[in-house]
Amino acid sequence: MFSLKPPKPTFRSYLLPPPQTDDKINSEPKIKKLEPVLLPGEIVVNEVNFVRKCIATDTSQYDLWGKLICSNFKISFITDDPMPLQKFHYRNLLLGEHDVPLTCIEQIVTVNDHKRKQKVLGPNQKLKFNPTELIIYCKDFRIVRFRFDESGPESAKKVCLAIAHYSQPTDLQLLFAFEYVGKKYHNSGDTNKINGIPSGDGGGGGGGGNGAGGGSSQKTPLFETYSDWDREIKRTGASGWRVCSINEGYMISTCLPEYIVVPSSLADQDLKIFSHSFVGRRMPLWCWSHSNGSALVRMALIKDVLQQRKIDQRICNAITKSHPQRSDVYKSDLDKTLPNIQEVQAAFVKLKQLCVNEPFEETEEKWLSSLENTRWLEYVRAFLKHSAELVYMLESKHLSVVLQEEEGRDLSCCVASLVQVMLDPYFRTITGFQSLIQKEWVMAGYQFLDRCNHLKRSEKESPLFLLFLDATWQLLEQYPAAFEFSETYLAVLYDSTRISLFGTFLFNSPHQRVKQSTEFAISKNIQLGDEKGLKFPSVWDWSLQFTAKDRTLFHNPFYIGKSTPCIQNGSVKSFKRTKGIPGT
Amino acid sequence: MASASTSKYNSHSLENESIKRTSRDGVNRDLTEAVPRLPGETLITDKEVIYICPFNGPIKGRVYITNYRLYLRSLETLSSHWRFEVDTCLFQDSSLILDVPLGVISRIEKMGGATSRGENSYGLDITCKDMRNLRFALKQEGHSRRDMFEILTRYAFPLAHSLPLFAFLNEEKFNVDGWTVYNPVEEYRRQGLPNHHWRITFINKCYELCDTYPALLVVPYRASDDDLRRVATFRSRNRIPVLSWIHPENKTVIVRCSQPLVGMSGKRNKDDEKYLDVIRETNKQISKLTIYDARPSVNAVANKATGGGYESDDAYHNAELFFLDIHNIHVMRESLKKVKDIVYPNVEESHWLSSLESTHWLEHIKLVLTGAIQVADKVSSGKSSVLVHCSDGWDRTAQLTSLAMLMLDSFYRSIEGFEILVQKEWISFGHKFASRIGHGDKNHTDADRSPIFLQFIDCVWQMSKQFPTAFEFNEQFLIIILDHLYSCRFGTFLFNCESARERQKVTERTVSLWSLINSNKEKFKNPFYTKEINRVLYPVASMRHLELWVNYYIRWNPRIKQQQPNPVEQRYMELLALRDEYIKRLEELQLANSAKLSDPPTSPSSPSQMMPHVQTHF
Repeated sequence: MFSLKPPKPTFRSYLLPPPQTDDKINSEPKIKKLEPVLLPGEIVVNEVNFVRKCIATDTSQYDLWGKLICSNFKISFITDDPMPLQKFHYRNLLLGEHDVPLTCIEQIVTVNDHKRKQKVLGPNQKLKFNPTELIIYCKDFRIVRFRFDESGPESAKKVCLAIAHYSQPTDLQLLFAFEYVGKKYHNSGDTNKINGIPSGDGGGGGGGGNGAGGGSSQKTPLFETYSDWDREIKRTGASGWRVCSINEGYMISTCLPEYIVVPSSLADQDLKIFSHSFVGRRMPLWCWSHSNGSALVRMALIKDVLQQRKIDQRICNAITKSHPQRSDVYKSDLDKTLPNIQEVQAAFVKLKQLCVNEPFEETEEKWLSSLENTRWLEYVRAFLKHSAELVYMLESKHLSVVLQEEEGRDLSCCVASLVQVMLDPYFRTITGFQSLIQKEWVMAGYQFLDRCNHLKRSEKESPLFLLFLDATWQLLEQYPAAFEFSETYLAVLYDSTRISLFGTFLFNSPHQRVKQSTEFAISKNIQLGDEKGLKFPSVWDWSLQFTAKDRTLFHNPFYIGKSTPCIQNGSVKSFKRTKGIPGT
Repeated sequence: MASASTSKYNSHSLENESIKRTSRDGVNRDLTEAVPRLPGETLITDKEVIYICPFNGPIKGRVYITNYRLYLRSLETLSSHWRFEVDTCLFQDSSLILDVPLGVISRIEKMGGATSRGENSYGLDITCKDMRNLRFALKQEGHSRRDMFEILTRYAFPLAHSLPLFAFLNEEKFNVDGWTVYNPVEEYRRQGLPNHHWRITFINKCYELCDTYPALLVVPYRASDDDLRRVATFRSRNRIPVLSWIHPENKTVIVRCSQPLVGMSGKRNKDDEKYLDVIRETNKQISKLTIYDARPSVNAVANKATGGGYESDDAYHNAELFFLDIHNIHVMRESLKKVKDIVYPNVEESHWLSSLESTHWLEHIKLVLTGAIQVADKVSSGKSSVLVHCSDGWDRTAQLTSLAMLMLDSFYRSIEGFEILVQKEWISFGHKFASRIGHGDKNHTDADRSPIFLQFIDCVWQMSKQFPTAFEFNEQFLIIILDHLYSCRFGTFLFNCESARERQKVTERTVSLWSLINSNKEKFKNPFYTKEINRVLYPVASMRHLELWVNYYIRWNPRIKQQQPNPVEQRYMELLALRDEYIKRLEELQLANSAKLSDPPTSPSSPSQMMPHVQTHF
């Protein structure tokens, strides 16, 4: 009788191209001089030869042979074999195709097949077996696997331990950016205005320097200076607001920028007094003004219960006074309306679990409901929806909006940015978007160090910045003609938070950068002169990472510039599933 | 079938014979009312109604019914808040416009009775084939809805009233003739046919071999016409295996047919077995013929009970059979119904993704695409000839062959190529459009209706999403095809098969949809299109990449619609212009370059290059 042949449960073209008939498996490990490309200040800590990098999970036919290196910046796999499968359209100048920056490593697992042992490696740990395999889980959703079948067992072990040690530093100053920037200062000698970054046509795109936007010649305002804030006031046409310098030298608050914008009717003396009542001494910060005069303001909670009413009243009055129509203030308590950072983190962990760890076929069947169960998209929607409601208040109701949050350093960053992206076409340009991130995240004291967990010890990890980029991506999908930048730009921007070379996403506050880098400079005998801390390279100097040709991919071909109307009010619906997960 | 009286039939309206004027776009505009009219379209009646907009609530308007469309113009101007919410393209002079071809209507129901209470409870509820419902409330006094109901029923379902479909009354003229787009001989010649192994046969010239197949067929050279007749007895509805597509290099083929008539007793047919062997032998590279049965294996087995079945191992030694697990037309119809439930009128928000999952629509899309990928992969990489069938070979088979051809052959990814693909694999090979869509037919519960063609277009859309530069056409092109799948304005999708169309002289008496599209191609072009000749497209048929086609399924909801169609369309035009400019400049440079090359008289090696540049040497 005829036997039914059931259809194959999976079809391989989901993942792989049709198998090649002429197998080009290199069964013999090559012996060749494979040299890593090193940055200034980068040193090789350990290396091992005859390593096999696994490409596919179900076959070894695509595997590559080469040398695995651990430096103080990255792990690097150097091979002569061409990449067999997917090729990217752009190449990062700082990293090879197989490199992983140490700050991008999430977890290191060593395996010994023969002894059936497996160990997650923490820092300064011992390994009692010789690993046959090393699995590295990356923060950008990659899983990288190396096999040591043909390598010297001792050197394999040493490399694994080195990676574990160097990817989990105990101190902020051990991050590579310090070594790199220190080297730059030493090399540049007297000419301290240039850090001598070789590939950058922007030159010293330092933490406080001039970082050029991708492909665009405009400078990104960093909001470190008085004049950047002043220009922003003028750009938005805000009247009734002034730049205030009372936090110069971080005399008031260590988590605020040195210059902030406040209602003109509030005197410096009053602000100084009020500041004591706010969590983290975070006084109200002006973000942006609508052309109708309504302002967007963010502030921390007033912890002083006795003073609460009075101060709150004074501030609201001042904001009302700054409004040309003397409109009321609409207060939005973000802690009550939005998921908290722990919930966002929990959703992200589930999302990652779903995308990375669970077997493809099992998740495929229930993909949509599993995705829903992570709640990630629900949270993205909550942020967009709430921001759209505030847009309605500002634009249609002509009300000034105050964002309230305990510390005002997390949810506020995300909501303030989204509201501005929705209302102001300038923030949909590359330069504008970058200045927005400077203004509402970097300078406003978003704790990148803790939230990105660069030191891997933080209990405070939360991907709020990624959530913001995802929400922006959703807007880009819905308004394809409204944004100058592309999906690629967003993905690359997120990847850049994992490269510990730039000062932009390294610190919890601008003050921390100054303090830490001054200490570092003293210990390394670097003369800072008039500078406030070391000038780290800025992420916005995209020429450090990508060639001009690759940077053209940052541009969205649908963009039609400023003629696009503002993003309309209305509930934001119709979600795309997040496909363009940053990273590889 | 339509009783196709060509005589100009009389309009039933009494006083509405107002003067007509043909405007530049060929649409007659009623001078007094400004209802758009096609040449041949006549106004039947008009009436004041309340349109119960599911998104913005009731609005007073005047409805005009012609023999082609239902047109509503609101009498109140909308408040600015409303206009904000409702899509702008529905507006003219700030009144709301509804413009619905009657062909789109699948069902008209009366809601409420003469005595029902409550505001707007008395009127009509119209279910459309394109994912929406229209509700109108009328005055309860004097049975005011009766004539509207009757006129709508009459003109929406003309076949039940011995009236012609509007396509036979349409007098539109276009500067290109869409009926000439597809010429089977030319298309087969493009594929390099006939050749040593394959011949063109006219055996079905009068549709005697198979009444649902086209007149012209491509069959193995070694099979005689008598062989074909004998094979026909063993294939459901005589739909014998014939060639759909041949690979230009490895010469493997995609062959389509219906199921073999195996039956409960497991009948065999030597002629059929031999015929499949002859097909296999046209390809020397692989010793097996691959058969893809589109159905789930259980269904294939069950079909034995009604005389059908599949090719068994014992009978067909040199064939390998795979089932592709694609469900039948009834499952697809129910699945789409569930999609409508979650998107119209309100989008199920709280558990959107799991609701979408429970409709299984994307899962079906995935199976169809996966099947087509397997066919394409087998032919291209596996170098094996492939035979595709389901039960009758006009639904799932058409989906699989046409999608596989779209993956394999870049020609079909151009606008005209796609028209040819649809014309060939769907229209000429007897996809039962009339039954599946129910043109002009009132029987909305007909079990023969099913969104098979829509599902195919959805698959094409999924591919265009994954390969944004591979298709000459844009999303609007796919949407307009679907709109006129139902509209009955063009003859393109009318009737079930070529023989019926020929009897009705469709090409002489109706206009082709491709006339409309091809005379205004720019509107349907994808600015990112880059022509590639030999690239096979393998879409990723994973739930991770498939999406609900929001711009089609949820396009009536103004809050969900792509919110800025205009800037994007404008940008499309800009990009197209830019591209044309670059192409022109490239050509000029090439010309200048070749002129430079050919300027010295000592380079006669490239005469073709000199051609465009007229040289005047003495």
